[in-house]
Amino acid sequence: MGAGIKVDRLNVCLGGNRVLRDLSFTVNPGEFVGIIGPNGAGKTTLLRTLLGMVPVESGSISIQGDGKTSGSSMIIGYAPQSRQLDTETLLRAWDFVSFGLPHKFRPWLTKRDRKNVQEAMRVTDSERFAHKPIAKLSGGERQRLFIAQALVRNPQILLLDEPTSNLDPGAQENLASVIARINAEKKISVLFISHDVNLIAQYAHRILYITKGQYAIGTVKQVLQSNVLTRLYGAPVEVMHVGSKLIVSTSSNKPDSSICLHHDNGTQEVLANVSV
Amino acid sequence: MFQYDFMQHAFIAGTIVAIMCGAIGVFVIARGLPFIAHTFSHIGFSGAAFALYLGIDPLNGMLLFTCASALAIGRLGIKMFRKDAVISVVLSIFLGIGLLFLSLSSKQSNAITSLLFGTVLGISPLDVEKLAILSAFVLSMLILGYKMLTFDSFDPVGAQAAGLPIRFISIGFLLLLSIATAEAVQIVGALLVFTLMTTPAAIAQRLTHSVSRMIFLSSLISVIGVWAGLVLAFYTNAPVSFFITAVEGTLYFASLGWINYRERSIRENTVTLDAT
Repeated sequence: MGAGIKVDRLNVCLGGNRVLRDLSFTVNPGEFVGIIGPNGAGKTTLLRTLLGMVPVESGSISIQGDGKTSGSSMIIGYAPQSRQLDTETLLRAWDFVSFGLPHKFRPWLTKRDRKNVQEAMRVTDSERFAHKPIAKLSGGERQRLFIAQALVRNPQILLLDEPTSNLDPGAQENLASVIARINAEKKISVLFISHDVNLIAQYAHRILYITKGQYAIGTVKQVLQSNVLTRLYGAPVEVMHVGSKLIVSTSSNKPDSSICLHHDNGTQEVLANVSV
Repeated sequence: MFQYDFMQHAFIAGTIVAIMCGAIGVFVIARGLPFIAHTFSHIGFSGAAFALYLGIDPLNGMLLFTCASALAIGRLGIKMFRKDAVISVVLSIFLGIGLLFLSLSSKQSNAITSLLFGTVLGISPLDVEKLAILSAFVLSMLILGYKMLTFDSFDPVGAQAAGLPIRFISIGFLLLLSIATAEAVQIVGALLVFTLMTTPAAIAQRLTHSVSRMIFLSSLISVIGVWAGLVLAFYTNAPVSFFITAVEGTLYFASLGWINYRERSIRENTVTLDAT
């Protein structure tokens, strides 16, 4: 079962700049949350802060696991945005995934370790290229391995930083469906950063939309609205539905003065302190 | 050949150091540190010259200088020492210091040749013992830290994301490398340390797909080079280091030829299958 995350009034500064401002949200156990926002909005910083790799200036983060595992690196599996891989080395995919196993002072793998690697490769559909050199795999295949490596410790939360970037639309769709299946099958909480609104809208239970200093969280229907995005960006933004696709574009409409989410029960929730 | 004590000592010392260099070399290549190893060999040269000046064992001087440098590099950050300009400046400074100490000591000409090109045929039983202890230490540390070291060497971004103590691993590895380099200098000399430290590993990484096989193959190639070098040197009176470099170099280019041939065959087979 996945773990829950509670972030309360989180402030993070990097190099003197405030990257995250008064960010508060919760992720329920087993939930799939998509994170969207422009470059430099602090999406990656948020994931790195959850991992404890970036110091918190103020506010709090609490991870509520099932108590079976300890330490954030065991509860959280993280697949970073970019990797430095030597294309000269013919390291096979299976070995690459096994790197993610918990590190003990013994060089060999136990039966349980092998089973965990096999399971991580099965769930990411990467068994068929397990013995191929990683340098010879396509971008989509490598991304599956990166996710498998993050999964091999059986984490309760999976943080994925733009796993679908640099992939063609077909490969993006395949990978996103694999991630959604992991979320459903393993009940792991997933935080998935992407620039593709439609991809996220298709699979995420909720969306966290971050811009510089502002944010909104809710269902796709709640967040991807013109007035919400206009307020987040501080400039006119239009959300259009073309067939089954969402198109987000700038428009000349004047922004509304309110920023809140409209819940199905008719109540409204203030999402961010906006000062335009 | 084996009736001579000096040949027995040379074979034992050469084999021990070759196995250790072959093993650590895989990580040197994966971490992109061949020129750091080369820098250590020059630092070791000046350390040995300093030891000769003081009238103590050159190996002790080498270890003192290389280990101190490893700690300094680890503290300042390894990225800085990957830059060509920094490497060239450090290399020349330490070669200069080495020459200064040699000019001040009374054992100049013989010592220069021995330190720059190795002294494996003149190795004493006490030296063999010291090399065996140091090699056992390096290999034990590599075995104990194998999992963390492979992860950090082949996927540094993933290792950081998984919460590994990457700074500790980096400094620890530099210390092991400094010891290994000081040992290799005894066999092939300061100028030819690449021969044992990087050439066998560079061959192995192109021929095998798993890290453990790379280590085994790299050590095997390293041992073959040393044994062939010793045998050829015994029957021809030419320097051992020359034969070791010649054998390792030949194996390297033969491996490149084999890889090209194999890839061309695979391409041709694929074209033939497509045509049918």
